[in-house]
Amino acid sequence: MKLLVPVKRVIDYNVKVRVKPDQTGVDLANVKMSMNPFCEIAVEEAVRLREKGAASEIVVVSIGPAQAQETIRTALAMGADRGILIQTDQDVEPLGVAKLLKAVVEAEAPGAVVMGKQAIDGDNNATGQMLAALLGWPQATFASAITITGDSAEVTREVDGGLQTLKVALPAVITADLRLNEPRFASLPNIMKAKKKPIDMKTPADFGVDVAPRLTVLKVTEPPKREGGAKVADAAELVGKLKEAGVI
Amino acid sequence: MGLPAGIDSAVIDRLKDAAGPGGWTADQDLILPHLVEWRDQWTGSTPLLLMPQTTHQAQAILAICHQNRIAVTTQGGNTGLVGAQIPRGEILVSTRRMTAIRSIDPVDDAIIAEAGVVLTRVQDAAREAGKRFPLSLASEGSATIGGLISTNAGGVHVRRHGMMRAQVLGIEAVLPDGSLHAGLSSLRKDNTGYDLKQLLIGAEGTLGLVTAATLRMVSRPQVMAVAMLGLETPDQAVALLHRLEDATGAVAAFEVMNRTGVELAVRNTPSRDPFPDAWPWLALVEFEGSDAGLLARCEEALGAALEAGLAGDALLAQNETQAKAFWFLREEMSAGQKPEGAAAKHDVSVPVSKIPQFLAAADAVVNRLVPGARIVAFGHCSDGNIHYDVVQPAGMEPDAFRALAPALIEAVHDVTVGLDGSISAEHGIGISRRDEFIRREPPTHLALMRAIKTAFDPHGIMNPRVLL
Ligand SMILES: Cc1cc2nc3c(=O)[nH]c(=O)nc-3n(C[C@H](O)[C@H](O)[C@H](O)COP(=O)(O)OP(=O)(O)OC[C@H]3O[C@@H](n4cnc5c(N)ncnc54)[C@H](O)[C@@H]3O)c2cc1C
Repeated sequence: MKLLVPVKRVIDYNVKVRVKPDQTGVDLANVKMSMNPFCEIAVEEAVRLREKGAASEIVVVSIGPAQAQETIRTALAMGADRGILIQTDQDVEPLGVAKLLKAVVEAEAPGAVVMGKQAIDGDNNATGQMLAALLGWPQATFASAITITGDSAEVTREVDGGLQTLKVALPAVITADLRLNEPRFASLPNIMKAKKKPIDMKTPADFGVDVAPRLTVLKVTEPPKREGGAKVADAAELVGKLKEAGVI
Repeated sequence: MGLPAGIDSAVIDRLKDAAGPGGWTADQDLILPHLVEWRDQWTGSTPLLLMPQTTHQAQAILAICHQNRIAVTTQGGNTGLVGAQIPRGEILVSTRRMTAIRSIDPVDDAIIAEAGVVLTRVQDAAREAGKRFPLSLASEGSATIGGLISTNAGGVHVRRHGMMRAQVLGIEAVLPDGSLHAGLSSLRKDNTGYDLKQLLIGAEGTLGLVTAATLRMVSRPQVMAVAMLGLETPDQAVALLHRLEDATGAVAAFEVMNRTGVELAVRNTPSRDPFPDAWPWLALVEFEGSDAGLLARCEEALGAALEAGLAGDALLAQNETQAKAFWFLREEMSAGQKPEGAAAKHDVSVPVSKIPQFLAAADAVVNRLVPGARIVAFGHCSDGNIHYDVVQPAGMEPDAFRALAPALIEAVHDVTVGLDGSISAEHGIGISRRDEFIRREPPTHLALMRAIKTAFDPHGIMNPRVLL
């Protein structure tokens, strides 16, 4: 079975994001970019499924600027087989991404799409659900465990009350939550091998999809500043600090 | 000299006045955190904690102490590892309220910070200004500029950027008699006479109270890459270091950790061994530079090193989370030992080429003196500074091990000195290494150091039990 794994290039999780002075968005100049952490978990899961024999080929697809090739290379270094870049400098909204992914699914005919539950830049948590609706496929979101048997998948989901286990018929869209796995590190030999794996270059026009934004961002502002806390080593220091603050 | 019982209460009142409102406390609950330190080796005592906020207040305090022959201990972030900042009856002067960043100048590449400013704040301020302050160490969230200067701290970027001494352009300090050494210069060239600030750097608080410093900033690297390598031997580490530096010219940090260190860290802290195989040694390499081709060059150099057999496996962090995970393992080398009982610690340096020889000889000594002891060797391979920690054998009584420790330390230091090394690479002498230092140091050196101490501090009031 072939797995399709979409991956997104986003601001690195550890970067302190700064809002542009004109409030039109966040400052991306000279900022470290990496693969969205949930996409990384999805890639890891796909590689593990292949290692277990449940999948035979892993195709990663990214929608973004030319540099998103680096993100695809990272996935290839983790073990994916080939990549597709749909190149655009436009900030594509979830619906546009879902339409492009639908077109890729139609061309590639994977047995499942395994993807992150959300991207940490927009935090929309929408693309997987939209893609399933557009395809008319079952969806299993927020996965913390995936088992594939024959033509169905058992997916454990993290829901408010605890864990819920679903059985979905394949093909399906499965979105990864944080606790699904701990992604591996990329080894140097695999990074070198990844440089030789193929990446197909496409554009949104190749799939006949209009990615013009439908939403208008009015303003982006910083959240209110929080007063920093402090760590204490032991009870004695805590008592000292409380006395200092005049509360005991 | 001024022990608690001997201090006149009128003088105590004058000291409180000098420190100003909010600038002192005699409440032992409030003082306690200042009397215990990270390794739980010393618990101190003091009748009074003074916390001046301004240089003026600090001057008034030391003038009173000088006139009345009252001994003081100075303290910054209390992360020092040799006990020098812990008072044993002396008045304690803390810089915890001297926390202003007075100015930051991206044209002069200089930042003026008061003594109590914590290192991460200086790093952040430099970053905000589009620059970088190139000193990093595991205690950076608590260690202060005054403490870093007074210990001449090192850390992980010494080979490329130098120790704290290399970062200091100027110093403002209160001398032991209360007079001011006003030296907040931002000059990089100044050959007018003896360079007095150099004496205050690394003086462990024995020559004066540093109140502020001008620190240099460097340009911020555009490209950074962090790799972890799995090695069989320390010889590979030394060869690898030179291979990577020759090939890239961009090695900013090259840290090593032995298997036991990794195992204890993984067992006792939330860190993770990134390799599926249990490599006897790990090397963490950080590259920094500003040309776009650097990453590819690093990848090539690492690939070539693997092919040449200088490493068995190599990982390259693909994002900051992974880079942090590599560094986290390295930073937890000390914390990993804590739950395992007593330890005898060494902070030695040898010429880089002699690191493998040092490790072999020291291991032999340890295995002979305390069979079953667990050796955690890690540290700054790129400048020859190895933290060689010997953790007690599992199941031994900690006190039984502590009884063996002095002979062990002596023997490991004999090995170090025999290889032209130093028995204190970056932590200083303080109280824990004082006797040994005085025994090993040539008399001519000691005589000069004592003459310098007397010139600065004729009554010997500053950190009197420290260093000399
Ligand atoms: C987890 C950990 C990791 C560490 N890693 C490293 C490392 O990699 N490299 C390294 O070099 N060190 C390391 N250290 C020790 C290092 O010496 C201290 O972190 C730091 O330099 C001391 O700063 P501080 O503000 O805590 O000073 P303190 O501990 O408060 O004082 C240290 C000394 O400086 C004196 N002093 C403090 N402030 C002043 C002042 N304003 N004027 C005059 N004297 C003053 C004190 O009297 C004392 O002698 C580490 C410590 C810890 C706990």
